[in-house]
Parts: sequence; C-alpha cells; structure tokens
Amino acid sequence: MTPQTLAVAASTISASKIYGSGEDAVYALNDVSVEFYEGQFTAIMGPSGSGKSTLMHCIAGLDELTKGSAIIDGVDLSTMKDKGLTELRREKIGFVFQSFNLVPTLTANENIRLPLMLGNDKGDEAWIQNVINTVHLQDRLTHRPSELSGGQQQRVAVARALASKPRIIFADEPTGNLDSTTGAEILSFMRKAVDELGQTIVMVTHDPVAAAYADRIIFLADGKVVSEMTEPTSGKVLDLMKTLGN
Amino acid sequence: MFRIALKGIVGRKARLILTSLAVILGTSFLAGTSVFSDTLTRTFDNLFSDVFKNVDAYVRSSQVIEADFGLEERQRISIDLVSVVENVPGVRDASPDIQAFARIIGKDGKPLGSDGQGPPTFGSIGEEFAGALWTVADGKWATASNEVVIDEASAKAGKYVVGDTVKVVAQSGSRDFTLVGIASYGDVRSPGGATFALFDSATASEFLTKPGFIDAILVSGDGSVSDTKLSAAIQAVIPATAKTETLTGAQITLETQDQIGSALDFFGILLQTFSFIALGVGCFVIYNVFSISAAQRQRENALLRAIGASRKQVTRAMLIESVAVGLVGSTIGLVAGIGLSSGLSALLKALNVDIPSSGLVVNQGTIVSTIVIGLVVTVLSAILPARRAGKVPPLAAMRATALEIAEPGRKRLYGGLLSIALGIAIISAVIGGANNSYLGFGILFVFIGTIVLGPIIARPVALFLGRPAARFRGITGVMARQNSARNPKRTSRTASPVLIGVALVTAVTALAASIKGQINDVFTEQFKGDYAVTTNNQFTGGLSPSLALDLNKLPEVDKASGIGLITVKLNNNGQYFTTIDPGTVEGVFDLGLINAKYSDLTPDSIFLAESYSLRKNLPIGSNVTITLGDATQRELTVRGLYKFDELAGNFVVNRAMIANSAVVNFDIGVYIVGKNGVPDGEVQAALDKAVKKYGQGELLSKAEYIDKQSGQVNQLLGLIYGLLMLSIIIAFVGIIITLLLSVFERQRELALLRAVGMTRSQVRTTVRWESVITSLLGAVLGIILGIGLGWVIVFALKDQGLTSFKLPVGPTIVIMVMSFIVGLFAAIYPAWRATRVNILDALNTN
Ligand SMILES: Nc1ncnc2c1ncn2[C@@H]1O[C@H](COP(=O)(O)OP(=O)(O)OP(=O)(O)O)[C@@H](O)[C@H]1O
Ligand SMILES: [Mg+2]
Repeated sequence: MTPQTLAVAASTISASKIYGSGEDAVYALNDVSVEFYEGQFTAIMGPSGSGKSTLMHCIAGLDELTKGSAIIDGVDLSTMKDKGLTELRREKIGFVFQSFNLVPTLTANENIRLPLMLGNDKGDEAWIQNVINTVHLQDRLTHRPSELSGGQQQRVAVARALASKPRIIFADEPTGNLDSTTGAEILSFMRKAVDELGQTIVMVTHDPVAAAYADRIIFLADGKVVSEMTEPTSGKVLDLMKTLGN
Repeated sequence: MFRIALKGIVGRKARLILTSLAVILGTSFLAGTSVFSDTLTRTFDNLFSDVFKNVDAYVRSSQVIEADFGLEERQRISIDLVSVVENVPGVRDASPDIQAFARIIGKDGKPLGSDGQGPPTFGSIGEEFAGALWTVADGKWATASNEVVIDEASAKAGKYVVGDTVKVVAQSGSRDFTLVGIASYGDVRSPGGATFALFDSATASEFLTKPGFIDAILVSGDGSVSDTKLSAAIQAVIPATAKTETLTGAQITLETQDQIGSALDFFGILLQTFSFIALGVGCFVIYNVFSISAAQRQRENALLRAIGASRKQVTRAMLIESVAVGLVGSTIGLVAGIGLSSGLSALLKALNVDIPSSGLVVNQGTIVSTIVIGLVVTVLSAILPARRAGKVPPLAAMRATALEIAEPGRKRLYGGLLSIALGIAIISAVIGGANNSYLGFGILFVFIGTIVLGPIIARPVALFLGRPAARFRGITGVMARQNSARNPKRTSRTASPVLIGVALVTAVTALAASIKGQINDVFTEQFKGDYAVTTNNQFTGGLSPSLALDLNKLPEVDKASGIGLITVKLNNNGQYFTTIDPGTVEGVFDLGLINAKYSDLTPDSIFLAESYSLRKNLPIGSNVTITLGDATQRELTVRGLYKFDELAGNFVVNRAMIANSAVVNFDIGVYIVGKNGVPDGEVQAALDKAVKKYGQGELLSKAEYIDKQSGQVNQLLGLIYGLLMLSIIIAFVGIIITLLLSVFERQRELALLRAVGMTRSQVRTTVRWESVITSLLGAVLGIILGIGLGWVIVFALKDQGLTSFKLPVGPTIVIMVMSFIVGLFAAIYPAWRATRVNILDALNTN
C-alpha cells in the first residue's frame, strides 16, 4: 500500500503552536504538515516535550493552532466554534486517553454509548455488539469503572471510541499505564479494528513495541517532523531512535 | 504546622471564600437583626424622651385595670383638676392631655393612616403650653368647638390646607371641623408616622372622651423646686377622692420607654430566634464545606502523614484554618449585617414610618457576640471533619482517587433509628397525657434521627427522585441522577438545610391552615348575620356604640346588634367582658345558650361560659363582684351558661350595664340581618351609605367577614415566612457551594465528557438536574417531617381550643414547586463554572 492510493482522513498544513511570545516563545509545533490516511494505523513517536500531544490535540479540535490549519474530513477546524467542534468530536472523532477515560458514575455499557447518547443517536446496534464482542466485554457491561481492571477500562475506552464509527480515533499513550501483556491485548484490539473494521487510528506512544503495531510511524522532535517509517518492527524503530537521538 | 495551615488557606482562595460565605450569611443575619432592633429601641427611646422633655410633672388617675396582651385601661380624671394644679407654687404652666382614638378622613372619603395596623391614629389636645412639643407650622391653634389642627404629614397626605373642612371620626361619632392650623412635632412632621387631630381642651374632652374628662395633666415647673418636690406638692394639693397619682417627667418618660421597649423586645427576640435558626442551618453548610475540602485534600494530608506529620498536626492545621475562616467570615458578616439593618431601616422609611433617625446603633455587645458566635460555630462545625482528616492513612497518598469514604455505617443506621424511635416514644407519651413541654424533645430527637439517617436515605431517595430526569433528559439526566447519589453523605449534608427550612415552613403552614380552618368553623357556627361592620382597631378604640343603633333603624335592616368589649377587674385580675344587646342579638350571634334566653341577661346579670362556670364553681344563681374601668363596683348574678366561648370568651354582660358611665366603651363589631323580602343589593347599599357616613368601620358580607377573620392568620404567617427566608437563603447558598466544590472536584470528568462530545448546554443540564434532585430530596423529607411537626403542634394546642388538624395540600405542592425552582436557580453559577472547565488543563493534570 502506498500513500498515494489512500484517502486522507486528517491532515495539518504548516501547523505551528507557539506558547508565549518574543524571547520566551516555545514552539510546541513548528511548521508541521502531516497527513493521516484512512484505514491506517499511524503512530506518533518522539522524545518527551517534542509536541506529540499538542499535535494530536490540535487535530482533534481540543486545542487551537497558532498558525496553519488542521483539517478533518475536509473541514478546516479553525473555522469552527465551540459548538461545532464539540459536535465534530462527538460524531467524527474517537478518543482513548492514557488514564481516566471513563465516567465513574456510568456503567461500561453507558460509557461505550456515551458519545452516541450525548448526540441522541441510537447508533448502529449490530456494529456496537460487534465492537463489544471484539473487545470481549460482553459480561462486564453492567459494571462501573471502579469494578473494572485497568486493562478492562482501556478496552471500554477503545470500544467507546469505536462505537460511533468515527472517521478517526486518537489515542494518547493508551497503554502507558498498563503492563506489557495487557498493553499487547489493547494494541491487538486496535490493530484488529483497523484490519477487520476498517478504522483509522492515530496513536501517540513512547514504546517501540507498541509502535510496531502501526502501519506507519511519524517521528517528532522539537515540534518538527523529523522522520517517517512504514511497516515498522520494534527493532527498526529502536535503531531509528538511536540515530535520531544522536 | 501553623505555616502549612496558613499556606493552605492562602493557596486556596476560592475555597476560603466559599467556606466563609456560609459564616458570613449566618452572622450577618445575627448582627443585622440585633443592630436593627437596637436601633429601633434607641429611636423610640429618643422619641419618647422627647415627648416629655419639657414636662416636669405628670398627673393621672391611679385607677387602672391591667388585662391580657399587656394592655391596661386607666381611668380618666376631671378637667377641673387643671386649675387646681395650676395654682400650686412652683408650677409655671399646666395643660390637660388627652390621647384617644381619632381618624382624619381624607377628601376622597377614605380615612388617612392605617386601620389598626402600623402607626396609630390619635386625637389630642393642641394648645399653647410651655411644655408642648407641637408647634403651629401654619395657621393657629384650634380655639372653638368647630376647629381642628392636624399634623403636617397628614395634611400633606390628605392635601389639606388651612381653611378646608376636615371630617374627623372619634369614639362618639364623626364630625366636620374647619382646619385652622397645621402643626409639626419637634423637627418631624408627625411622630412615628402616627396621624394627629388636635383640638382645644374642651372640644377634645367632649369629642374624644367624655365631656369633662381628660387622660392626664402635663405640668411645666418654673424651676424653683426639683421635679420630685414639685410632683409631691401637686399630689398633696389634689383631693384624695380624685384618686390620682403624680409622676415626675423622668418617671413617665421611663415608664413609656419601658412599655415600648417590652413590645420591641418581643419583636427583637422573634428576629433573633429566627436568625439563630438560620445560623444553625448555616452550621450544616459550614460542616459540609469542611468535610468536602477534607476529602479533596485527602491525598495532600496523606502525603503530610507519610512524610512524618502526626494525626494531631493534620487535625490542628485544619482547625487553624477554621479559626481563620470563622474570624474573617464573622467580621465580614458583622459589616454585612450593619448594611442589612440600614436596608431594613430604609424599608421602614419607604413604608412611610417617619421615625427621627438617630443613626444605626452598633452596640459593643453586638460586635463581640457576632464575632464570638461566628467563630465558635465555625470551629465547632470543623471539629469532626478535622478529626477525620487526621485519621487519613498515609497510604491514601498512593491511591489515585480522592473520593470520600462513603459507606454509611451500621452505627449510623442504629443511632438514627434509635433517635427517631425515642422521639416518637416521647411524642406518643405526650399524646397519651404526659406534659406538653416534653414535646420539644420528642421533635428534636426525630429531627436529629432523620438527619443522622440522611446519608442512608439519600441514595435511594435521590435515585428515585432522579428517575424522571433520567427518563426524559437522556444521558444528561442519567448522569445528574447518578451524581446526586454518588456521594450520599455529601448530598444529605447539602439537603439537610433544605430539609430543616422546608420542615419549618410546612409545619407553620399546617398550623396556620388548621387555625384558619377552625376560625372558619367557629364563625360559620356562631355568626348568623348577613353582614358585619368591623374595625381593625379593636383595642385602641373601635366602633361607636351608636352605629349599631342607627343601623338598626334602617328600613332595609331586620336587626343590627353591636358586640363590644370592656375591660373589667374580677378577683383583682383584668378580664375582657363581651357586651351584647339582648334585645337584638338573637339570630345574629349565637352563644349556644344552655337553658337560658337572651332576655334573661338583665343589666345586673352575667352569662358565663359553661366550662368556666364548672371550673370556678359558679353555677346559675351565684354572684360575682366586678370593678369597672370607672372604679365603680357591680354585683352581678349568673343567669345563664353558654357553650360557644371561642368568640365571646368566658363572660358576657348586657351593654346597658355600662350605659351612661365613664367606662371606655366601643363595639368591635356590628352584626346585621337584612329584612326579609328586601333584595340583598338594596340592604347592602343602605348599609354602605350609613357606614360611610360614620367614617369608621368596614362593611363586609358574611363570606367576606369570615374570610377576613382567617385572613388575619395570613399576616402572621407572612411575617414568619419572611423570617424563615433567612434559613432558606442559607440552604440555597449551601447548595450553590456544594455544587461548586463538586464541579471543581469533577474537573477531569467534565473535561473527558467535553472531549468526547458533551456540549456546554448538556453540561449545564447535568449540573442543573443534580441540583434539583438534591433540593427536592431535602424538600420531600422536610415536608414529611413538617407535616408531622405541624400535627404535633396542633395537638399540643388542643387545650388552647385548636381541635382539628388540616393538611395544607395546596401549599405543600407550592413548596415542592418552589424547591424545584430553588434547585434550578442554585445551579446557575455552578453550571456556568462547569462549562468553563479547560479541557486540556484538566486532562493534563494526571
Ligand atoms: N500550556 C503550555 N504552556 C507553555 N508551554 C507548553 C504548554 N503546553 C505544552 N507546552 C510545551 O509544548 C511542548 C510540547 O508539549 P507536548 O505536551 O505536546 O509534548 P509531548 O511530546 O506530548 O511530551 P510527552 O511525551 O512528555 O507527553 C513542551 O515543550 C511543553 O513544555
Ligand atoms: Mg504527551
């Protein structure tokens, strides 16, 4: 698969995010132009403070760019107000955070359907059942987050992100708090969602093993895209990280 | 540790402000009401020290009958004594004084001033006198029997100018006078908002009281002897048969101030009682805020413990914080309270009570007690949360969640149930015949038990109340319902102030409904007329007795019978006797006579209430000796007993007994039956015309009259509602504070919800319904307790003649709706804050 044959789900054009001004200005993102392709699992890597989370937040409509534009589904986010952005996040984007992903007062089932319910949308029931089965949550649906393990909680979060058939899912270090076995489980679910359900996923990670589940990796350093890799393995990633580190 | 505590305070200004808010409100009501009543007392003290400022001696009758309600009836003295007093050496000037009921009728035929409520309406003497405070502002003093002078405020209100004809109503009827002057009182236009009609002494005596009689003599000395000597000299000259006493100016001033003072004291105590209730409600809010902040700081405290702070140190840090909050809060509360009381004074001015302002009176006692009480209440409310904060295990520092340990314990369940059971047992004992005074304890135990059980009931009840929200409001309703139940302790602590406020309001409403129901029943049973003429002025002068006689002569009227009230001394106690006219009372007013006819009530007879006759062993045929207001004695024979004593009281006499005596005699009502065959409209028109001519009293149909009687309860109810508002306001603010703290605590959750697509308006809806559910939780429990409390109070008043409990269905629904609205309003600011949560900041604080 080459990039040319794939549709673009989300992209940025000359995106910059600057904190402060003048001498003290910090470039969290510095003239970043990237494209995320439909049906692909993309990983974003880079050292701490390189701007990974910032990039993700700006494309997902959680934060605003200082310069340049972020585009999802052909729409420039800078033209939208809070209400439009909220609807966009609810309908076209799925989120998986590192921790604190679930509303503690709602059951697993309610958490999974939360974005749909917020939009007064019944959703595609067959699809939702399919998602629930895929992440093996059938017997945990009536439990509240406090009654679930960390791995199960992340699985609920992944299921929630998938339930509304978003154009794109953003995951910021989704396995950062999990042990490697549980982490691997979540990653294979995400992989499965891309392969079997045709989802588009963008994931921020520090872990070469996790990144190896992706189709493509984008490397950031000091707010700039410094490298890119397709069909990665954890070995190749480690090697590249070593060279980038120098 | 002290430094850490102070840092903690300064570091969290928002929390400090929220905690202080409850203290501020509670103490400001306390300070406000106390400053207000002190100011009122001082104002009236000044007013009355002015009244007798230039009076050195005061001569009045020594004959007085003191009756219930602190009222007394003093006999009048002869006007001839004035010349006797004038000739006493040392007397410069002496002036007769009369202060009696009189109403100035406006040009539109409506009386000026208020009828029975608010400042009184007086008729008095206005003459040149060395000690007088009235000065003629325009025109001259009245000198003839057809001349009158009125106060400046009344002249302005009635648009009267010198030369106009003014109708004045007094005890003896109404009369037209020529306005010859307008007077002002010291530097105000009228004292205390009262209206005054001033006459020369002969006219005043004849028109306002009885010809030849006056209330007192005001004496101004020439300064040659002391007031005490002057008074003694005067008293020595007056013959003993005149039965007078002579006071010095200082004595009469003090006596008047005391009288007013005790009336104001009662008002002050009422205000203070309700502000203490409000402060008690405020305790819950303070306790709640400290509990929540202890929970939110659990990790921080655990960290302190982990690095070596002792339990005591953690607890002490929190107590130091509470001292700071108490001091800051009650100081601000004091200032706010002073502002509040000047607001109340302004309100009085707006209500046209023109009192000479002497500035606000902020006593040292008010300052000290406000700050001390505020401080003590705050620290007491913080003790439990502070101890709990100390108990936090160091391990909690490692735990991720900062949720309160919310499992209600078994001890709580048993403790609460025990308290309620004890309360119910006490109440049952009282119902079974034990002393009424235990009732308070029973009620208290039930309240305490309910509040102790609060956290246990809160969850199921909140979930139940939240059902409609969850059903009709989708996911936002579901979350609101879950949020209100997620921390039952917090929810019940927030709802408790609402519970107390609503319970009190409901109980008072139930009591009022029962009283109104009873009044309705009594009047329907005993009042048999088609119309009634009444006056609100029942104690300081009512309807002229001639009104009933005149109405009786109307061709459209079958019968008109006056019902009067006199003050009588019986066995050395002042008593009210009802006077009736046996010739016309039949079929107009029903006493429920037992084996007697109205015609048995000759002028030397008395009818007694059956219960009184039994209690005092005074059967038919026995004799009672009474002393009338004019100091004469009568021997009356009991000639009949009656059942209905609710309106008539224990004693009924023939009004002919006091005809042609100097006894103050007026009717409190005239009951009328129209002539058979004459259309209602004609009867009413004829009566209306006749009553208007008198310028006193108000003509009411049977239904209006009965409504009006129960309507008087509404006024008292209004006052108590107003005072309970203080508690309701604190409960309301308590909801706001808790919601705000919850919103701060749930920032991450809110950020998550916003990230996955919750709109701002959905966030608002969630907070709003949580607030409504909490408020309704308090209201539902409060209404249940309030109805029980009302029932118990009605039961306790059985001996006072209250026999039936009435459930206030309508008002209860109104209270529910109001609680709903209170919940909506309390949520406005917290909901807005919730929508302002910064998604990224909240998500990033891992
Ligand atoms: N609110 C802010 N104000 C100032 N600087 C900020 C702010 N938020 C982020 N930055 C800076 O922007 C840069 C990028 O931050 P970002 O959170 O995107 O890094 P990251 O690559 O996600 O790092 P990590 O791997 O540690 O999560 C950092 O240097 C950070 O200090
Ligand atoms: Mg990051």
